[in-house]
Amino acid sequence: MTEHPLSRMRRASVLFLLFYFFSLSACVSHLKEAKFYYAQGQRFSRQYQTQKAVASFKRALKEAELEAQKHPSAQAYMLKGLAEMELDAWKEAEESFLRAFSFGFEKGEEWAREVSLLGVASSLEELGLEDSAFRIYSYLVDKSKIKQISILAAQKYMDIALERAIHKEKKERQRLLAAALKTAERLSNRDLSCGFYHYLQSQVLSHIAEYKRSFEEAVMARELGLPTDEIFRDNDLQIVFCYKKLKEKLSSEEWQDFHSRYMKWIEKWNWPDPETPAWRKEAKHAADDKVG
Amino acid sequence: MTYIKGMNTAALEKTIEKGIKFLSEFFPLKTYLYFPLLYSALFWVIKRPKEWKEEIFSWKVFPAPAFIKVKSDEFILNFFEDNQALYKAYEAEIKKRDLEALREAAGCLYRILGLEDPFLSSLFALELEAGDFRKIVEEFDERASQALEDIEAVEDEPRLLKALGTFASEMASLCGDLISQDKILKMLADLLREKIKEKSD
Repeated sequence: MTEHPLSRMRRASVLFLLFYFFSLSACVSHLKEAKFYYAQGQRFSRQYQTQKAVASFKRALKEAELEAQKHPSAQAYMLKGLAEMELDAWKEAEESFLRAFSFGFEKGEEWAREVSLLGVASSLEELGLEDSAFRIYSYLVDKSKIKQISILAAQKYMDIALERAIHKEKKERQRLLAAALKTAERLSNRDLSCGFYHYLQSQVLSHIAEYKRSFEEAVMARELGLPTDEIFRDNDLQIVFCYKKLKEKLSSEEWQDFHSRYMKWIEKWNWPDPETPAWRKEAKHAADDKVG
Repeated sequence: MTYIKGMNTAALEKTIEKGIKFLSEFFPLKTYLYFPLLYSALFWVIKRPKEWKEEIFSWKVFPAPAFIKVKSDEFILNFFEDNQALYKAYEAEIKKRDLEALREAAGCLYRILGLEDPFLSSLFALELEAGDFRKIVEEFDERASQALEDIEAVEDEPRLLKALGTFASEMASLCGDLISQDKILKMLADLLREKIKEKSD
């Protein structure tokens, strides 16, 4: 039986509409999916779930690439660049931000420049040109508007600043440490909710033997969250170290007061005793048995 | 031969052999990776059953900031004084307050003894058992970066993760409730090492 031309046309237009609808929704969903997986990746990385975070960023990148191919836009390239940055693909991220700029994302050019600078500093450091690298990290710590860049640059800056300080004589050492502390404080004041900046402050304060303040900043860092499990553990060991130093240094009255506050914190954190973080007890046999 | 009281040692050995066989497909010439990979899989499956996959490869795989490596003099001294075996090994440097030498050693040992990274702990298990901290320091950079390079080459291979998960779950189920005892995990580590040594010989 032959089909009526009109019904064939009607069927074709229904098919066309269906195709149009699905292709449009597919495009919308690439962008949506890219945003979803990027946000998920950030959530996982905040929870120290590295592998899941990497998987999410890879998925976000794939979706952003598809979106950029089908419907190139500032938003698609910006997401692509952000995902690439998380995956350590700095060159590609720089390129993506420049493309985002060409599609009207005003900050794209500035972002691309910052990514490029971080890459340059890292290469200079690898080549042993620490002074030049330090200057770039310092610039990024002060000027960067991208949180990831600012955090990475701050960590690198602080390691170099502390390394320089510990090799100097007392007076010069104090001067360099005071400058490093000022930078860490400025970062914290700029973003009070960033646990990593409080962690940096706590580390610098430990160098100048300000154990009470170092302890307070480490507690704040712990409460606000830290980017990796390794930093989290390091911060816990700093808390224990401050506890021990304060035990030696505080007067009996001050110690009583500090100790009662400390015990409340460790109860909240489920530590079995003042010098053993919960994770340490959990893993104790792995190291202690072998050491003992 | 290691026997673990109350357990089917033959079944445990069989599971370990399967694990080794699988790893030998991925790393035919890298037997040094078998113990750290199998042990850290077992360790994390027991300790963090929900997040073990992330923990096995929690090495630096994406650009998160690192912890601050430059510690104060007091922190470094406290690290060595707090651990009897470490104190004994570095007594001369501690008494002389040779912070340059102590800093260099802490750069390697802090991640193992301070932050308790199970992968690095098992990579240097023999040296830790022997209390040979100086050997760890001497070989740390070369061995750790070699391991990282070798693992990164197959990190995205889902079969590897699946196999490590199956190995660790089978081991855990063969041990039942006893697995939660630290002593048992230590015995399993010994059995693992014994079988790996047999296979590599």
